[in-house]
Amino acid sequence: MTTDLNQFPELDKTKFEQRGIQLEIGVPVTCAVSIGNNIAAGFGDGTVRIFSSGEKHKTLKAHKGVILCMSKDGDSILTGGDDGYFLKISLNGEINEITNFGSRWVDHVAAYNGKLVCSSGKVVYYWDKNKKEPKSLNHDSTIGGLAFDAKGRRLAVSRYGGVTIWKKDYSNKWKSTKLDWKGSHNKVSFSPDGKYLVTSMQENVLRCWRLKDKLDFAMSGYGSKVKSFAFISDTSYLATSGAIDAICWPFDGEGPMGRKPICLPYIGNKQVTFIEPFPDEKAIFAGLSDGSVFLSQIENENNTIIIRSFTGSEVSAIAMTHDKSSIFIGDMNGNILWTSIWDQ
Amino acid sequence: MEETNRQVPVTVLTGFLGAGKTTLLNRILTEQHGKKYAVIVNEFGEQGIDNDLVVDADEEVFEMNNGCICCTVRGDLIRILSGLMKRADKLDAIIVETTGLADPAPVAQTFFVDQDVANKTKLDAIVTVADAVHLSSQIEDHHEAEEQIAFGDVILLNKIDLVKDENIEVVTNRIRKINPFAKIIKTTKCGAPLKEILNLDAFSLKRILEVEPDFLESDHDHEHDDDVTSLSFVSNTPLDMEKFQNWFGKLLQTKGQDIMRTKGILDFKDENDRYVFQGVHMLMDASPMGKWPENKERSSRLVFIGRNLDTMNLKEGFEACKSE
Repeated sequence: MTTDLNQFPELDKTKFEQRGIQLEIGVPVTCAVSIGNNIAAGFGDGTVRIFSSGEKHKTLKAHKGVILCMSKDGDSILTGGDDGYFLKISLNGEINEITNFGSRWVDHVAAYNGKLVCSSGKVVYYWDKNKKEPKSLNHDSTIGGLAFDAKGRRLAVSRYGGVTIWKKDYSNKWKSTKLDWKGSHNKVSFSPDGKYLVTSMQENVLRCWRLKDKLDFAMSGYGSKVKSFAFISDTSYLATSGAIDAICWPFDGEGPMGRKPICLPYIGNKQVTFIEPFPDEKAIFAGLSDGSVFLSQIENENNTIIIRSFTGSEVSAIAMTHDKSSIFIGDMNGNILWTSIWDQ
Repeated sequence: MEETNRQVPVTVLTGFLGAGKTTLLNRILTEQHGKKYAVIVNEFGEQGIDNDLVVDADEEVFEMNNGCICCTVRGDLIRILSGLMKRADKLDAIIVETTGLADPAPVAQTFFVDQDVANKTKLDAIVTVADAVHLSSQIEDHHEAEEQIAFGDVILLNKIDLVKDENIEVVTNRIRKINPFAKIIKTTKCGAPLKEILNLDAFSLKRILEVEPDFLESDHDHEHDDDVTSLSFVSNTPLDMEKFQNWFGKLLQTKGQDIMRTKGILDFKDENDRYVFQGVHMLMDASPMGKWPENKERSSRLVFIGRNLDTMNLKEGFEACKSE
C-alpha cells in the first residue's frame, strides 16, 4: 500500500474508534475467540492477549512461534502453534501444555465440553474428558479443518478428497463415514441444526452436503478463496467471505438449492476476508481486505454501519463478547480495535 | 512499495538422492550471513537438520479442479507458506527441499495457482543439485532426474572433485541438451556462494530478457523418444499476435503435459513493446516489457523444454505465426 494518509484533509474516525481502544501491535492477529465477556486473541509472535472491559489487556507469552489456531474450552482457550505445542490457557493466565509434536505444527484445534481435539499433519488427536492419553484418528492426507456438531457427538475432519465424520457407537467404538468430493477441503462446519455440512475449498467455491441423504452441491461464483464463513442465528443463512460483497446463502426451509444468495455490498469494492455473526441476530460483521469492518443486517442491506475505517491491512479476526456489549477486531498488521458497541 | 508487502522469495531445491541437498541446506542454515531463512524439508530427508526455522512437510500433491489436467499443486506448501507469513519476524527467503524423486512442477505451479501464496511470496528459482559422478546413469534410469534438470534455473554440478575433467564435460553437455537455460555451477560439497543460489529472481519476466540461452546444435537421432530435450526458434520477421495466441494457446492446452518449461521474447507486428513470457506446463506468465532497445535488432525467440517435442510440429507452427 502506498496510500499517504496525509493526502486526505482529515480521516474521520468512526464513533467506535473514538470510543474504543486502538492498538498497533505490529504482529499479525491470527485468531480470536470470546470467553464470556472477555476476548482472547492469538498473535504471530506466540503471544495471547486477553481483553476484558474496564481493564488493561493482559499479555501472555504462550508459544515460541505463530499461534495457528484457537478454540474456546469452557473458561479456557486451546491454542496450537507452529512450535508444535498444543496448550490450554486459562483466563487468569495459567498455561498448561497438553502435548507437543516437536517440529510438526498443530494446525487445528477444537473443543466440546471437556473433549479436546487437535490435528497435526494427517492425524487428529482426541482427548476424552479428563483423559491423559489421546486417541489417534488417522487420515490419508493432511487435515484442513475440524468441527464438532452442535451437540458434540460428531466430529467432522476435512482433508483432501472430502470430509470424514467420526462418531462413537453405542459400544464406545469409533466409526467413520466419508463424504467424498475431489479437491482440497479447508475450513469445515456443521450447520447449527445439524442438517448440513459445509467446507471451503482450495478453489473459489464452497461444498455442502445435506446429511440426511448425502446430497451434495456447490456454492460458487466467488472471486477469491472463501477463507471465512459462518452460520447465522438458527441456520437461517450461511454468510461467506471471498467476494466484494458478503454473500449470504439462505439455509431455511429446503436449503439454498435453486435459490439466490443475498449479497451485501460495501463501499470501496474490497474483498470481504472475515465474517463473524452477531449472536442471535440476522446480522453479521464483515471484515475487508483493507482493514475496514462493517455491521450489516442481512435482510435489510440499507442497514449497514461502519465499525472501523480502513487500516490498509486484511482483517483476520473479529470476536464479540458473550453479552454482545463489546467487539474485538484485528488485522494482519496487528492493528486492533477493542470497543463497546452501544452508545453509553 | 512498503516493506510489509514485500513478497518473500522462495527457492525450490531439487536433486536426486545423495546429490548433496542436505549439505547445501546445512550451509544455508549455519553460515554467518545475517539473514533469516526458513527451510521446508520433507520427511524423507537424507539426515536430520535441527533448527527452529526448519519445517517438516509431507509432500502432498493434488490436482486442482480447474479443468487444467496437468495442474497439480503442493497442498502442504500452501498451508505452510501461509503459516510462515503470519510470523512476527520477516523472513529474507524460504527454501523448499523436495524429495529425490519429486517432480518440481507441482511446486512451481503452486505459485501460479494460489492467490494468497502469490500475493505474499514469489517463486525465486529452481535450484537442482546434481551428482557429477552419477548424473548420467540417473538420467538414463529415472525420468525424475531428467525432469529436475529440465526445470532447473541453476544446476549445481556437485562432487566434481570425484570426476575426471573430460567426464565433467560429458555431463555438462548432457545437461545442456536437456536445459540450455540453466546456469551450471561446478562445485565440491555444494560450495557455491549463496548469492548465486538465492534471490536470483529467475522467474521474473524481466530476468528472461537478460538470460541468453546456450544454443546448442542438437541432433536428436540417438535419443530415446521420451527423452527430455529442448528446442529453440528465432525469427526476424515480426509475428502476428492473433495467429501466435491461437497456436500457442492450443499448443499448451493439448501438449502442456509434455511441455515442461517455455520462455520467450516476442516481436509482434504493429506493436512497439517487447512481449515476454515464461511458463510451467500449461500455466503461463506474460506481459509487455517496455519498448525494444534502440540499438538492438527486433527479433522473436522462443524456447521449449520437454518430452516428445519432435512430434508437435513446433517449427511449422511457429513459422505460420509470421506476419508475412
